[in-house]
Amino acid sequence: MSALDTAIARQPALRKPVDPEALTIPEQKAGARRRRAGSGAPASPGRFPIALQAGASLIWIGQAALLAMAIGDIAAGAGARAVIWPAIGVFVLGVLRAWMDRSGSRLAFRTARHQLSLLREKAVSALATRSPLDASRPSSGYVASTIAEQAEAVVPYVARFEPLRWRAVIVPLAIFACVLPLSWVAALIMLVALPLIPIFMALVGWRAKEASERQLAKMGDMNAFLLDRLRGLATIRSFDAVDRTALRLREEADLLRRRTMAVLRIAFLSSAVLELFSALGVAMVAVYVGFHFLGQLEFGAWGGRLSLAQGVFILMLAPAFFEPMRELSAVWHDRAAGVAALEALEKVTAAGEPVVVAAGVPAVKPDGRAAGVVIDGLHFRHAGSGAAVTDGSMPERKVFDDLSLDIRPGERVAVMAPSGGGKSTLLALIAGLAVPEGGTIRIGGETLRPETAARLRAGMAWLGQTPHIFPGTPGRNVTLGRSDMDEHVVEAALGAARLDSLAHTRRQVVLGEGGAGLSGGEALRLAIARAAAVQGAGLVLADEPTAHLDRATAGEITDMLLEISEGRTLIVATHDPVLASRMDRIVMLGDESADGRRA
Amino acid sequence: MNSLRHLQAVMALFWSQNRLMLAAGTLLALCTALAGIALLGLSGWFITATAIAGASVATALVFDVFAPAAGIRFLALARTFSRYGERLVTHDATLEVLARLRERVFRTFATDEEARSLAARPARLLFRLTVDIDALDSLYLRVAVPLVAALGSALVTSAALGLIAPALGIGIGLALILSGLAIPAVAAARAQKPARRRAHALEVLRSRTIDLMRGQADLVMANRLSAQTAALSAADSRLADADDALNHIEASTGFSFAVAGAGLLAATLIAAAVLAESGTIGAPAAALAVFVALACLEPFAALRRGALELGRVLLSARRLGSKLTDVVDEAASPDLPSCPANAVEIAGVTVSYRHGDRPVVEDQSLAVARGEHVALIGASGAGKSTILSLIAGELPPHAGTVRTLPAALLTQRTELFCDTLRGNLALARSNAGDGEMMEALHAAGLGAFVAGLPEGLDTMLGEGGAGLSAGQARRLALARLLLRDTPVWLLDEPTEGLDGSTARDVIERIGACAAGRALVIVTHIRREAELADRILLIEHGRVQADCARGSREYLRLLERLRPD
Repeated sequence: MSALDTAIARQPALRKPVDPEALTIPEQKAGARRRRAGSGAPASPGRFPIALQAGASLIWIGQAALLAMAIGDIAAGAGARAVIWPAIGVFVLGVLRAWMDRSGSRLAFRTARHQLSLLREKAVSALATRSPLDASRPSSGYVASTIAEQAEAVVPYVARFEPLRWRAVIVPLAIFACVLPLSWVAALIMLVALPLIPIFMALVGWRAKEASERQLAKMGDMNAFLLDRLRGLATIRSFDAVDRTALRLREEADLLRRRTMAVLRIAFLSSAVLELFSALGVAMVAVYVGFHFLGQLEFGAWGGRLSLAQGVFILMLAPAFFEPMRELSAVWHDRAAGVAALEALEKVTAAGEPVVVAAGVPAVKPDGRAAGVVIDGLHFRHAGSGAAVTDGSMPERKVFDDLSLDIRPGERVAVMAPSGGGKSTLLALIAGLAVPEGGTIRIGGETLRPETAARLRAGMAWLGQTPHIFPGTPGRNVTLGRSDMDEHVVEAALGAARLDSLAHTRRQVVLGEGGAGLSGGEALRLAIARAAAVQGAGLVLADEPTAHLDRATAGEITDMLLEISEGRTLIVATHDPVLASRMDRIVMLGDESADGRRA
Repeated sequence: MNSLRHLQAVMALFWSQNRLMLAAGTLLALCTALAGIALLGLSGWFITATAIAGASVATALVFDVFAPAAGIRFLALARTFSRYGERLVTHDATLEVLARLRERVFRTFATDEEARSLAARPARLLFRLTVDIDALDSLYLRVAVPLVAALGSALVTSAALGLIAPALGIGIGLALILSGLAIPAVAAARAQKPARRRAHALEVLRSRTIDLMRGQADLVMANRLSAQTAALSAADSRLADADDALNHIEASTGFSFAVAGAGLLAATLIAAAVLAESGTIGAPAAALAVFVALACLEPFAALRRGALELGRVLLSARRLGSKLTDVVDEAASPDLPSCPANAVEIAGVTVSYRHGDRPVVEDQSLAVARGEHVALIGASGAGKSTILSLIAGELPPHAGTVRTLPAALLTQRTELFCDTLRGNLALARSNAGDGEMMEALHAAGLGAFVAGLPEGLDTMLGEGGAGLSAGQARRLALARLLLRDTPVWLLDEPTEGLDGSTARDVIERIGACAAGRALVIVTHIRREAELADRILLIEHGRVQADCARGSREYLRLLERLRPD
């Protein structure tokens, strides 16, 4: 087994520096397991906050009893003095109830928010170490939406839905237990009405649910529609189609509104059923108690007759009996959104092809001596790319089958290959941006593996095909926050990339996302400066640096590239014959005989 | 105060559309609230009255039991139906307003000035736009409707109680309006800052995630990956802080409402007992008052969420408010001359992007004859695209004049839309028939492909034309251009990003279709420049060389270009 094979074997353990799973509280773990089983069971905020909130709801029973007794006393002509203590009791219990509810919901929120942070952290660390070569890696836009906006839905789901679910069980049971000893008829009315609610809601709602979720998702598409048209505004304006497009936008929105309303008409019916039964439940209890008092419905109170206080007590409990159910239905969409968010997070957290993860920070600074690269028996294929590529035009195939290559220190090599021939892949493998199936890569005599990756990378300068410009000043874009680069280094690097003018005129300018305000050539020069600033680099890797450039700019970039790699090893992946002709050697991948060496 | 002014603009937009629905939705919400309060109040009165009447057989027999019993049933049904109606009407009205809002925003951004600023805008701001539009639905659903329902129900309730006992009515009314408005008002004021912080933190989290994904290779190579994940964690913890602050306010608001409710209940109980003792009201009315006190704060509690979201709504209103003023239809190119002699005439034009910057194009004159094909070449940043934007009318000159015949632009990035193929093509000519469309597609080399599609011209494309290969997308854009039968075509790097054979085929087709039209091609690829009768070399915003086909310089300029 080669050294790199050992590195791969160690990979899973190294992928996550801290296993967030280990930090989660047991309830969440169980919830996560149940979710994975596909049952859609929710994650929980823990028992204590649930108990607090359920307890708060139960206090109302005590308040109702005090109020009922007070009303009974008033009817009996007991006078104002008699209700003072019950009134104080009602108030004190009310404050206690408010406090318990508040504490419970705060605790539930904090737990839920913490869970969200852990989920995000987990997703981010999984994505950070997923190879950029992995074809099934989700797009940056999708990941950003999932991790930023969509993930927010986890909090209301965990913090609100689960406590309410418990309350919808505990509170009606407790109230039923309080009402039953007084009047079995009133208890029966509640008992019949409550289970009927879910049944009717289900009957009305199950057909509408799927359609409504699809429809509501389409509401989001209206934004996509608007953005789609705004992105192509130049074309629309050039075709004088602004008015037509605006009307089209309007028509689409109206059509969508009509369709959405057709679904909502049914969807709202299910909550109307809930309202109806809870309102009728209250009404029927009131009417029964009234007729019972008048002696027209003598039965129902276990042979006796209810007192006014008992009747009022029952009536006050009737709305509270249905309340948790009503609240639950109000947050039902929290659940749908929360489950969808958890699923989306799980999807972006899924493991893919890894990069060689650097374990720790380099202790010794590299000396900047030109480093040779020796590749021995390299095997690589894109794992699972067959499933990820939708059009099937890229079946899974071996990119490298036993590739060996020897690059001497200080040598300047162009790697050429037909499109898709693996020239960028080779560069990525040397940089450790993907893990090969087999074989070793030695840089400056040292084998690339997790323990050496950080140190080896500190000795490499990287020039990517489409350099990403980070929001920040030009200077920050050169250092990327590396602490060992002082102002002089940055200055020199910007100078080497002929960016001194940019650095001087727009020194404090914050470059926009994706390099807004920079031309393609300027962005590439910034990337050159980024590479030039790596003082200890013994190896410069450049991936198609002159693609998409006009000839003059390409020539300029080539000059700079040769300048900054003076005294270093340079490997360039390119299909630009002009650039390749300026190297010491051209390596044609997939064609061993074409390994041409210049005299 | 400024944000209030913007809020007015948003509210004016809401109100100017669909007044009837908006008012009906609010009214129904009020009915729902009142029916709920009345249901409990009447029930309390009813059972107390029946209990007193039932004490003796004589009163029990004469007690009119049916009217209140029917009233209770009626209120139960009324609450249900008005709630159902309220939800339907308010949602319909909101969807309607949001639809108009999107249309309005689109029209605003399509005006000259906004379109230019949009072109320079990063994607993040475009994304922010949609978030802002979405946030505005809270204004009606969670702020306006509950506010009117709560205030209205408080007034009606206190008036009704006032009929029984004036002091009771006034007392409950004042308590309701004071606490019911003060609590959400305090919450809204306190939530403004965290709501803004939250919106900002979410954007930072988003952009750092994008940085992680797009800049991953650079971060890995700089050993800065863990620093970036730490930065993401930091953004999340700032977001968590803002979330926590908002939740704290929400919980405090709920707590205040609950305490106010308990206080109101206890006070009403004592007041009712006092009034009953003095004989002002009977025991049934006392029970009614207690039951009403139980229910009357509920409509105000619905304001809780609106109060918290108000900060976000104000932020959106501030960002969007200025975009909602009525769009003045720009006069159809006022400076369009009566048919210039040439296809394109630029005279003494100066352009600079920002005030005070060195001009990108300075005192430049340029003419393209009718039917002439011209290529603009030069290093990136030399001003080629600026000249093209000038001709296309995307950019106004700061000095000098630009006169052109009607022109159509083929943008550098293929701009297709999420629509059917027909819809995409109809953008160029709305009255084009299927025959003309297919003809254009054949000319662009896409005819056989489209004819072979099961749904033909009705095939849907994804966002930005997703579903087509780069070559197919370019051909479709070309077919669209062909339908646009203008005497001038402006082509910005028409075959960039296409493989060699596709590119050559597309260029050949452009050449075939462009006969008789003036072409202005911005390019740095030789095969594209070869279309031109004349090549202009642009350097530092000026034409440095102007060489006609056949001259030695023409060939020398071609040599400077990328060969593939």
